[in-house]
Amino acid sequence: MVIAPSSWTSRPPEGAPPTVRWLPTGHLDDLVQGLRRQGRRVVGPVVSDGAIAFEEIDSATELPFGWTVESTAGSVRLQRADRDAASRRAFDTGPAWRGIKPWTFPSRVESVGFETRPDGSVAVRAEVAAGTPTAIIGARACDLAALAIHDRVLTGGPAVDADYAARRSDLFVVAVECALATATCFCGSMGTGPEVTTGADIVLSELDGGCAARADTAAGARLLAELALETAGPSGAADAAAQVAATRASLGSGVDTAGLPARLLANLDHPRWDQIAERCLACASCTLVCPTCFCTGTTVSSDLDGTASSSARAWDSCFTAGFAQVVGGSFRPRQRDRYRQWLTHKFGTWWDQFGTSGCVGCGRCVAWCPVGIDVREELAIIAAPPPPPPPEALVAVSPEAPDVAPVEASVATPVSPRPGPALPRVIALPGPKVDAVRPPIMLPAGYVSAIVTDVRPETADTATLRIATDDPALLAARPGQFVMAAVPAFAIPPISISRIRPDGLELTIRAAGPATSFLTRLRPGAGLALRGPLGRGWPIEDAHGRDVAIVAGGIGLAPLRPVLDAVLAEPERFASIRLYVGARTPADRLFVAELDELAARGIDIRVTVDRAGPEWLGRVGIVTQIFRGAKPTGANVTAFVCGPERMMTAVADVLVDLAVPPEHLWLTLERHMECGVGLCGHCEMGPRFVCRDGPVLSLAELGDDLRREGL
Amino acid sequence: MALDVAAGRAGRPAAARRPRVGVVKLASCDGCQLTILDLEDHLLDLTERFEFVEFAEATSRRSSGPFDILFVEGSISTPEQAAEIVRLRAAATTLVAIGACATAGGIQALRTAAEHEAFRSAVYPVPAYVESLATATPISAHVTVDAELRGCPIDPGQLLELLTAVTTGRRPQLPDQAVCVECKRRGIPCVIVARDLPCLGPVTRTGCGAICPSFGRGCYGCFGPREGANVEELAGDLRSRGGRTDAEVGRLFAGFTGATPEFRGVTDRLGGRPLLPLAPATAHVAGEHDTTPPAWRPDDARQ
Repeated sequence: MVIAPSSWTSRPPEGAPPTVRWLPTGHLDDLVQGLRRQGRRVVGPVVSDGAIAFEEIDSATELPFGWTVESTAGSVRLQRADRDAASRRAFDTGPAWRGIKPWTFPSRVESVGFETRPDGSVAVRAEVAAGTPTAIIGARACDLAALAIHDRVLTGGPAVDADYAARRSDLFVVAVECALATATCFCGSMGTGPEVTTGADIVLSELDGGCAARADTAAGARLLAELALETAGPSGAADAAAQVAATRASLGSGVDTAGLPARLLANLDHPRWDQIAERCLACASCTLVCPTCFCTGTTVSSDLDGTASSSARAWDSCFTAGFAQVVGGSFRPRQRDRYRQWLTHKFGTWWDQFGTSGCVGCGRCVAWCPVGIDVREELAIIAAPPPPPPPEALVAVSPEAPDVAPVEASVATPVSPRPGPALPRVIALPGPKVDAVRPPIMLPAGYVSAIVTDVRPETADTATLRIATDDPALLAARPGQFVMAAVPAFAIPPISISRIRPDGLELTIRAAGPATSFLTRLRPGAGLALRGPLGRGWPIEDAHGRDVAIVAGGIGLAPLRPVLDAVLAEPERFASIRLYVGARTPADRLFVAELDELAARGIDIRVTVDRAGPEWLGRVGIVTQIFRGAKPTGANVTAFVCGPERMMTAVADVLVDLAVPPEHLWLTLERHMECGVGLCGHCEMGPRFVCRDGPVLSLAELGDDLRREGL
Repeated sequence: MALDVAAGRAGRPAAARRPRVGVVKLASCDGCQLTILDLEDHLLDLTERFEFVEFAEATSRRSSGPFDILFVEGSISTPEQAAEIVRLRAAATTLVAIGACATAGGIQALRTAAEHEAFRSAVYPVPAYVESLATATPISAHVTVDAELRGCPIDPGQLLELLTAVTTGRRPQLPDQAVCVECKRRGIPCVIVARDLPCLGPVTRTGCGAICPSFGRGCYGCFGPREGANVEELAGDLRSRGGRTDAEVGRLFAGFTGATPEFRGVTDRLGGRPLLPLAPATAHVAGEHDTTPPAWRPDDARQ
């Protein structure tokens, strides 16, 4: 879609005014029928269940003529507009309650299906959504700003939401510039409205007796020409410009966006988070009416015997209990953690991820909060410019806000060229690297069928599956990457690759929940489906010429085994190689025979267990204790660490004390992952999607975030 | 959860027999049993896969166990039920409490916070015929429960999900989210925000598909409180809207799941329970209320 900044009286950069036409109210239906003649379904605002919602319409008579909306924090009321019958309007209502999002990003989409065939193999069925040509009439500036953000989030790569892309590919938009600002509107301060500057094919300004109409795209111009409308003349354009200027002037309080991300992220421990948690119902309404929130959860439905299943993605929310849940518990157990996650993501870390704010100032989260929590107030308190610190105060990061002035709205675009704020962060995030050669990952596709060829029990609850595949992408996996491992009827867990073979992969899986239990009980010949390889792996090359320390706790040895393989394949490239392994008990050790063999070859392997019976002659104690005597000391060490998060923090502390540089100290994180490519939102940790930007991250990249609770 | 009575799948041995399933009722209205029968499209499939050895609303077949899966409807309201549930637990590999009565005490649990005798006198002309406990309590207050399906009545989709989870060995997907999530997904505008209606949706676990808001009324809270339900804030909000009194707000929480600690706390603080004692019920024979057992009993009269 061509996005041309424009307005009623000039069209930068040429400056030639657009042709403004006049669409009398009585002929509004000509526009609807013109779009229907193009074979489109037409979606517009209607009165539904006491609110304004976008629904499919057959004629313009279904538009909410004569209605207006009064909206304050926690209250939205439909009312009769105070206009006489002759000047009744169709678009006097402010933002519709869920906006246009349900039409581009529906609340539930069937995504991928799996079926076990009679021979035991697993067939994959990726349901490709066929886009229905659609026209939306009555979208507001905030809706289109949100659409532009969704374009970037859901189709900007490296992964693409196929359903969204299909719905978006042939969308015709007739926008309306707001003649009314409700008390919850703050588009002006977010630089997204009320002027429509982007994303529309046709822009209307509804005036008494009709609409001034201008085309912003060639498709829009063709349709307007087809309708054979009179030109509105200079007064029509001037009235349209004056009306939206009046709307802007009537906007109430807004958000001070100057340096906002930095101010917000400097206040992760503000006492206000606890106070909001007392008020917040954690009902998730704010996120679900937000036009830019994109987090989804996967539900699986299957037949009774579990041979066939299909997955659907549905709107989810970072406010729900299970959102950041993994087997051991939730990463955001408290309500304050969840509110903080939402607000800091929306106004802060969204910039790191997508180069734009996540808020368009539509105010839906304010209006539709049952208890009327107003983000404008909360931001003013939490992200207030800090008082000058007392001289002895410890200031870890500079809370100085970069001086980013709000851009003039007439030239602002939602995904704007304004500079991303300088965040108070020393290390830049390793952004998603879009591989020019490889096409973008299209969700939900990407699963390939594979067969288990061998199963080796490792411990009472852990088994290693050898899986045959000829999929070139899977065979090109790098150490530290993971796959999503699917069998019909089960949730799809992310599984680290524990060996990369010429003819397939090995996955070492601990039976931690029903899905992983089922996987560990698969037998040779059984099928499954894999998607991957995913995530950023271990940077082996970072250790070239250096002392390699591989530190594993429990199942954490599995993703480190490919590191060991890679390092031992060309040992001459490394100054030294040491492996430190911790396990709960001797019986919980993984790859015992393999490690014994390596030790016999002279590889320095140190093993410790938390507790042991008298038959154990090795070391007992936590993994950091086995550093004694063979310390991975000094600036020449590159460490690869994987284990429970608590173990990794302890190891990191010790290694930092031993002068191992944080940028050479690599950890791999566990988070709740459903999509594996940064689209579902579950694994977010500060500015990162752990699945996409990690799971392997250096301590330097993680910084304080590693230890911060509730992130 | 001890739900692994799964039938066979590729890579696993097939079950030698169909799992034995019982559906029993205690103090309840049978509505949850009827909801099972509402799974019309799936009943044949279900009976092929499960052997229903006891199910009062569906078959005259009776069984004293053992049960692979036992669904228990109703709360513990009498001394006999308190003994019976212990026996049932021993006879069941997997015990699933179904419905608001079995999971939260049900509407009859309102007496838990009131004068038991006053209730008995208000309802029964001759209370002495009725042997009941002073409380109506959920199954989990008496025995270990492996899974709970909430709601008044339960949601048939959740029941099917649970049975599917049992047969496949997966974890049942019973989300602990607010009803609000379902309203937003379904496109039902918030009845609190748009209409000031009293609605417990923000503090109530979803699973019903937001039935009540979809018909333009507030949620009754029949699925009970969800994790971390912020009941105090919601109660305060509902009080400030529409000029409701404390007692009116308190009464909203005194419904099907009003005996749960979260909801009961609101009613205890704000009031709003039914006023008791009500006028006693009138006996046809005695003409006036009398708590002493009469000299004859109905069985005697029949002889």
